[in-house]
Amino acid sequence: MEKKKNKATKWTGSPDGGAKDRVDSVDPYGFARSEDFDYESYEELMSEYLVVLTRRSIKWSKLLKGKSKVEKNLKLKRYVRKGIPNEHRAQIWMTASGAQEQLEKNPDYYQSLLQAQHDPKLVETICTDLNRTFPDNVQFHKTSSPCLQKALHNVLLAYGHHNPAVGYCQGMNFIAGYLLIITKDEEKSFWLMDALLGRILPDYYSPAMLGLKTDQEVLGELVKVKVPTVWQTMVEHNVMWTLVVSRWFICLYIDILPVETVLRIWDCLFYEGSKILFRVALTLIHHNQALIQQAQSLPDVCQNFKQITRGPFVDECHTFMQKIFTEPGSLSMATITKLRETCRARIIAEES
Amino acid sequence: MSRKKAVKAKGSSKSPKPSPCSGRSGKGLAAAAAPSGGLVYPSRPSISNSGEFYDIAFKVMLVGDSGVGKTCLLVRFKDGAFLAGSFISTVGIDFRNKVLNIDALKVKLQIWDTAGQERFRSVTHAYYRDAHALLLLYDVTNKRSFDNIRAWLTEIHEYAQQDVVVMLLGNKADSTHDRVVKREEGEKLAKEFGVPFMETSAKSGLNVELAFTAVAKELKHRTTKEPDEPKFQLQEYVDKEMRTAGCCRS
Repeated sequence: MEKKKNKATKWTGSPDGGAKDRVDSVDPYGFARSEDFDYESYEELMSEYLVVLTRRSIKWSKLLKGKSKVEKNLKLKRYVRKGIPNEHRAQIWMTASGAQEQLEKNPDYYQSLLQAQHDPKLVETICTDLNRTFPDNVQFHKTSSPCLQKALHNVLLAYGHHNPAVGYCQGMNFIAGYLLIITKDEEKSFWLMDALLGRILPDYYSPAMLGLKTDQEVLGELVKVKVPTVWQTMVEHNVMWTLVVSRWFICLYIDILPVETVLRIWDCLFYEGSKILFRVALTLIHHNQALIQQAQSLPDVCQNFKQITRGPFVDECHTFMQKIFTEPGSLSMATITKLRETCRARIIAEES
Repeated sequence: MSRKKAVKAKGSSKSPKPSPCSGRSGKGLAAAAAPSGGLVYPSRPSISNSGEFYDIAFKVMLVGDSGVGKTCLLVRFKDGAFLAGSFISTVGIDFRNKVLNIDALKVKLQIWDTAGQERFRSVTHAYYRDAHALLLLYDVTNKRSFDNIRAWLTEIHEYAQQDVVVMLLGNKADSTHDRVVKREEGEKLAKEFGVPFMETSAKSGLNVELAFTAVAKELKHRTTKEPDEPKFQLQEYVDKEMRTAGCCRS
């Protein structure tokens, strides 16, 4: 696929420093690049990734031939794993997740939720987070037009009323925000939220957060088998998994991995389901086991778990996405289902 | 968060002690069993992961309702910065270190920042147990956050160590126009629960340094004091410092 350059040769070229002038200070999704953003590496990476994107785009256009619906099959799965071009992303997410079907079945539902009377406490909770959702994204600034903040408010409010058992949980703001950035459509974002929270993910966001607690333990069990040295480190320093991975699951890697990498993960998440979240976590952990093992204390472990979510390994999203299907080895849904059952039962027993 | 459930959860974390074969219980037990002893190194200087030397370390937790300014307070203390509108909601739990010079000793505070939303407490309160100090925040422009302080204190008593240092902070004190909780109300509540109190502003920096320093002094004093030495008076120290600084006390 993509040829990876040796990092050492990267800097021997012309140190002109002109990449900063050529690359926009705001990324294609509206996020302002951080002060320490490495423009040179980015430019080099993109020169390779653009070739991939162009090739994929042509292949997808041929596959879709202007159709709006696609059938799920092995070929499509392979295509999705190699990345959905941004122009088709919303459409494929919608069809693969069943969100499109729900939208068509319930044409006025979203609007009716917005028009109904609102729970004031829900409104207040959502409003607390509006200014705290992607303040670094120009599309969420109050002055931008259209301003996604209002759309974010509506999607979260509608979802909270649609699923009162969940209501609003922090983290959902970031998810809805990403959906709005990609679909540019409130109603589609709402139905994709419904697909994610209602069908694709376990109950991560409900008040008891049992699904989250379960999956954290499931990851622990998988690490115990697949990367025993890391599991040993965790035990040695008394680190509960929740400390290092709760954000990974709750935010579906938003604000943890680079935007482009997150979107590539979500392509597979919508198509293949929540198993992908484990593949990503296991790949990060497996690939960086030597670093994690070096930790001397609990804070060290936490620091190292942050460090492994940055750098070229995760920036190079195309290679990273190939790695998640090879590095952790086989991972069947049956295994996950079984582990979820035992972990859930254990947690319930411990809590009662 | 029901008290009943809380008690049970607490019990369950201790119960798995005899069965270290279960991975989850093993970790839960270990984290619970690592309170002061795991963190305090009073004799020889140690080196933190940032490469900074310190003599003694403590774990401090920031708690309080969502949006009261826990992360802002921490960033102001750690980096001396406040960038309006640059903060995102905290999901889960995170920490930052800062080393302070307290009476010729280098005291490292490991400060844990937590999500304020109620449902996250079932994930975060496991950490209360290891905390040496808790900074409990409310927002002086948000009545509900103040009213919830009683519930927070109940939860703290339920989960934290008995001798944990608790300090009540009324944050966003710079917002004179939007203020709905008077300073006297905060003082009164703090007195009722016997905890020190002050108002802070992460935006202006008011009392931010003082809050953390006072807690560090108290913790350092407890660890190093001779048996016949008098107790450190946190509230007195804070009041005196605020008078000297000539701010906010009329």
